[in-house]
Amino acid sequence: MLRYLASRLMQGAIVILLVSVGTFSMMHLIPGDPVDLMVGEAQITQEQLDLIRKKWGFDRPIHEQYLAWIGNMARGDFGQSVVRTGVPVRVMIGEAAVVTAKLNLLAFFISIALALPFGIAAAVRRYSGFDYAVMVSSTLGLALPNFWIGLMLIVLFSLLLGWLPPFGLPSWKGYVLPVAVIVANQTALLARMMRASTIEGIGEDYVRTARAKGLAEGVVVSRHVVRNALLPVITVIGYRIAFLLSGTIVIENVFALPGLGQLFIESVNRVDYQVVQAIVLLLSVLVVLGNLITDLVYGYVDPRIRIG
Amino acid sequence: MRNGVKLEEALRDLDSTTRREFLKKAAAVGITAAAAQAVLLKEPTVVTAGPSPKRGGTIRILSHQEVASLSPDDIGPTMQWNIITQIHNALVEVNDNFVVERVLASNVQAAKDGSSYTFNLRKGVKFQDGTEFTADDVKYTFEFHMNPDNATVMGVQFKAVDKVETPDKYTVVVKMKEPNAAFLRLGATTFIVPARYHGRIGEKAYKAAPVGTGAFRLREWRPAEFTVVEAFDQHFRGRPNVDFVRQDVVPDPSVRAIALRTGTADSSLWPLLSEDNLRFEADPGYTTFRTSSLAVNHFPLNNEHPILSDKRVRQAMLHAIDRQRQIDDVFRGTASVAHSIFPPALQYWYEKGVKQYPYSVDRARALMEEAGWRMGPGGVRVKDGQRCTFTCAVITGDRARRPQAEIAQQELAAVGIDMRIVERPVATILSQLPRGELDASLFNWTYNGGGGEPDPSATLRVGAARNFSRFKNQRVEELLPAGLREVDPAKRKRIYSEVQKIVAEEVPFLYIMYWDWFVIINKRIKGLPTSTQSGSTIIRDAYKWWIE
Repeated sequence: MLRYLASRLMQGAIVILLVSVGTFSMMHLIPGDPVDLMVGEAQITQEQLDLIRKKWGFDRPIHEQYLAWIGNMARGDFGQSVVRTGVPVRVMIGEAAVVTAKLNLLAFFISIALALPFGIAAAVRRYSGFDYAVMVSSTLGLALPNFWIGLMLIVLFSLLLGWLPPFGLPSWKGYVLPVAVIVANQTALLARMMRASTIEGIGEDYVRTARAKGLAEGVVVSRHVVRNALLPVITVIGYRIAFLLSGTIVIENVFALPGLGQLFIESVNRVDYQVVQAIVLLLSVLVVLGNLITDLVYGYVDPRIRIG
Repeated sequence: MRNGVKLEEALRDLDSTTRREFLKKAAAVGITAAAAQAVLLKEPTVVTAGPSPKRGGTIRILSHQEVASLSPDDIGPTMQWNIITQIHNALVEVNDNFVVERVLASNVQAAKDGSSYTFNLRKGVKFQDGTEFTADDVKYTFEFHMNPDNATVMGVQFKAVDKVETPDKYTVVVKMKEPNAAFLRLGATTFIVPARYHGRIGEKAYKAAPVGTGAFRLREWRPAEFTVVEAFDQHFRGRPNVDFVRQDVVPDPSVRAIALRTGTADSSLWPLLSEDNLRFEADPGYTTFRTSSLAVNHFPLNNEHPILSDKRVRQAMLHAIDRQRQIDDVFRGTASVAHSIFPPALQYWYEKGVKQYPYSVDRARALMEEAGWRMGPGGVRVKDGQRCTFTCAVITGDRARRPQAEIAQQELAAVGIDMRIVERPVATILSQLPRGELDASLFNWTYNGGGGEPDPSATLRVGAARNFSRFKNQRVEELLPAGLREVDPAKRKRIYSEVQKIVAEEVPFLYIMYWDWFVIINKRIKGLPTSTQSGSTIIRDAYKWWIE
């Protein structure tokens, strides 16, 4: 088990290193740098632009810039934003990550709590009115774009009813609409998956055997069907962990939430190298860990996959 | 000078509204000019508050992007400027009719030959850390920007400055290496930082903890979320009426409109969608200011491109594009056709007598024929075996202007010019265009000095950082330095008139329109100007407002 863990972590480290090289080269291959944007329409001369570039070290060879950056990262120094100079990147990411994580964790738990029972119940009572209702609403939840649902909710609850703030996080009320949009989307996805894999499970031989043994239907479903049906759902949930900090760019934009997605997009747009690189690196660490955790949970849920 | 004295006498007796109208007219006849000791007012035009301004409350403004820095060197982006200007003051500032007003300076004298400027400072002005504002602070600030090691953005404005002297505590003399007519508007308007404080904590820390002489001081700064400034009790013009100004970051324009509608916000710093602008303009619950932007919406063209280097081709393109149709179809009429690189709002400098290019497919075709381009296969013109085709890089995700490029594409196709459209990130466009690595693009840019200063050197000179079209004209190369050295406004006007005429003849880029800039403010806000030429200074003057 320990050897397995060690080798997986090794692999993860290599992946992360490759991602760092990849992101760095991609960011620096884009022609143009943040200085042009930072200066904006201020009257400027080429000479002055060159001075500013030199101040930031953008005139140094690329490999030197990379080594300086990765060296700082290894020491826990995430570097400095060219745009928000007065604040270390570590702090920028920390503040933004808290907002996004809160939003996503909240939505994550609510959607699991809703999706699993709905999915199972719809599968058990297949073709019933309840099943149809779950299917239709989950289709809508997946098909309607997030930003549209978000805007419509703002129109309804802020403009027409005046119950909730149209943007930002002035109080707990600010979380209601964005979380609702994420929940709508994720519940739809998870409920559909849960339903499908439960239906598959119900048809299995071991379920018939369990029923033949005379087990109560509730026990059959919970102990035999659901436990096996959970595997694909766990895969998806594990995969979502990686998105905990990045999957809500659109929501953050619509509801004006200062989260990581918003920071990422803004930083990409203004070629703020160190911020983009640090965020991508952070996310790649999360993906690696998310996959590892998923694999370990598999072993717990399904002993056949258990690793020695 | 005598003229100036008369003006001041005349101004003293006028009430504030008439005074404002008067100033507008003064600006129109050109006393906006740089050697402008003539029109500097004894006191800044404080249109305070008519009958009984109320105390207290919070003004809530929305911006579209984060406020990344609070340092006066980072005033480029509008959302930053709006906060930084609440916290700081400059010796002189440009008002909403492009007139230079004395703020921290009580008097300004420019040497006739433009070799020096003498500023007498107001006495008893306090910084927000309680220290007194003196000549040392001005000297420190100016010298900070003059030092190339600091590589500041504002440094450009101090290139012509030789030295800054302080004969006494309340006098600053700026000696110039060579006359620079733009200095008063672009250099002396630099916000002053306290020498001792800034010197101690350094520019980097200052970006997060600014201290100025402004009407509001920093209270809370959460760059990506909101910034709050609070009334500074000891502000030299008197404590502002409201307690707080808060600026929230709300990226989505529709959400900003809803927030204005629900009263969650009082105004939006960054424009809404055209349809929302028009709806608010028609609504009596809001005060709407509609001004012309100083930046021109244009297609820069690489003047060294084998096809685009022919003046006739560029002129044909401008004839081929129905600019009024673009305004009506894409922007719902909220813009005006551009005829020059200066907007008509720059009344004094704007030259009406330039060559114009009305929409005419026939003239466009004739010009293309004249340039030797014959109709070829697929409706695309050909010359010496070369097809008439080029690529226009629009900004990635630019939903506002992309349709404009598509209309132009059809219109150019109608005269046999094939314009391809690709998308590129804005940073790429800004860096590749001046190097001639792109054929064309589409965005808005200011082809004047800003703040009522006409000088377009940064955009039209050979090798200039923002010469997006690689424009090269010998006469313009002579005129622009001469325009900066010339301190007589009337002579300057002639220089910039000629520059505008040359640009209109050469069409280095396709100047399409000037967008209307909407500033929409909730009716509960009082103390607003009666009329204005410049949209960006309206919210700057929040210190005059009160909430009803």
